[in-house]
Amino acid sequence: MKKKPKSKIREYKDIAVRLVNVSKRYTIHHEKPTLIEHLIHAKNGEFWALKNIKLEISKGENLCIIGPNGSGKTTLLKIIAGIANPTSGKVKVNGKIVSLIDLEAGFHPELSGIDNIFLNGMLLGMSKSQIKSKINKISNFADIGQFIDAPLFMYSSGMKLRLGFSVAVHANPDILILDENIAVGDQDFQEKSFEKIKEFYQSGKTVISVTHILAFIKRYCKRVIWLEKGKVKEDGMAKQVIDMYERYTRHNY
Amino acid sequence: MSVFNSSTQPTRNYLDFLQAMTEKELKARYKNTLFGFLWILVNPLLQMIVIGFIFRLFIKEPIENYFLYLFAGLLVWNFFSLSLTKATPSIVNERSLIKKANFPRSVIPLSIVLSNFVQLVLAYLLFLIPVIYLGTLSNLWILESIFGFIFLLSFTAGIGLLTSALNVRFRDINFFVQAILILWFYATPIVYSVFVVPRNLIWLWRINPLTSVVQLFQKALSEAPGPGPAMLLTNSIIIIFVIVIGYSIFYKESKNFDDWV
Repeated sequence: MKKKPKSKIREYKDIAVRLVNVSKRYTIHHEKPTLIEHLIHAKNGEFWALKNIKLEISKGENLCIIGPNGSGKTTLLKIIAGIANPTSGKVKVNGKIVSLIDLEAGFHPELSGIDNIFLNGMLLGMSKSQIKSKINKISNFADIGQFIDAPLFMYSSGMKLRLGFSVAVHANPDILILDENIAVGDQDFQEKSFEKIKEFYQSGKTVISVTHILAFIKRYCKRVIWLEKGKVKEDGMAKQVIDMYERYTRHNY
Repeated sequence: MSVFNSSTQPTRNYLDFLQAMTEKELKARYKNTLFGFLWILVNPLLQMIVIGFIFRLFIKEPIENYFLYLFAGLLVWNFFSLSLTKATPSIVNERSLIKKANFPRSVIPLSIVLSNFVQLVLAYLLFLIPVIYLGTLSNLWILESIFGFIFLLSFTAGIGLLTSALNVRFRDINFFVQAILILWFYATPIVYSVFVVPRNLIWLWRINPLTSVVQLFQKALSEAPGPGPAMLLTNSIIIIFVIVIGYSIFYKESKNFDDWV
């Protein structure tokens, strides 16, 4: 029943992400793994989060991944972002990836906003000089004003998210990965961040997002991939796949 | 952007990142303390007073300049044990970073080792004041200290990479390190001299690279005899071995850190 877009022969330089038969197996750890336990029961439970994923994403495509919880969406993003390593298969990524997976991670509460911008920016692969040249843009976009010199524990949680978002979008990615938390901050900032993400779409950058908000997909995504139990169930034009998905979920849940 | 970068750019970025993380460690550690890095001197000073007092009671012929001798060893030891204690669980502690981005993971344990190293050098410089005053500085103290620092830093980095990587999968490693550090302290000639070690057991000290390190500093600062050529040679071979093993295991394991944290 699988329908796939006809595979066209594309130049390598037009490809942003290519996955060939990617599978990911997780070992299910039972409580704390200890060395002795590991030696005695060499065999642990296994779980295949992804099975034989074949996927090609062109440059400039904006793609949404949908699927129920536990279908492997986050694992797929992690593998594309290079955070997790596939158990088998090949991953080819062309360009710099920045993911908005955990915006606040990497911030240190005792350090100032400026210090944290540098730390977070480097974590996302920016060089010191790149950050220096963008520091005003980053803090202006995050709109934290006079707090920029204050330690981060004084920030509200919204301010921290805004700062994290601002650093990530200024890291100049070729491929942007959005994981569910697409909307951050207050109403104003949400609009600002949508504008920024739209800019990415329009400037021909690749955007890969995971979301449950079907309205968002209908508005922004052209291609949708539907994951089900670690496999690609459907891959095609947004409207068709979402219709199928909605029909399917109504019948099955 | 990255297309136009020269091949040295990634190394430079790595070093900048390592420096920023090291600064973060240091800044965060002494934020809101009155004495700042002076705390690193207080700790060995207290230890020196306690141990020096006790050992004077039991050892008939104490080592010459025993307090300076002790202090030189304790400087090294405090750096080593603190670095290992903090670096071993570091990957697990920084799991949110691991899950966020694909950066070179080795920055995490290495920045901890380096931040402690900065403190070690500061403590060492302060310690030079009484040593110069008492006139126990050896002729080759600069050379001996530099070699001591290089040996110590590279050995600690190698071990730290190894234990932090293994601790991700086997959390036992952290407890194992704590236990072994207690033994290791007494297996290193810090409170005693290596010359009291029986001849047939000397190989145990030869496989412990900290022997040379401690002896180099004791020689530089307290007129104690330095490490012999056999000790230096075996110790350096083991240090190189540890670095190679530590780095390769860390590199291999680091691809799968995300699965385990």
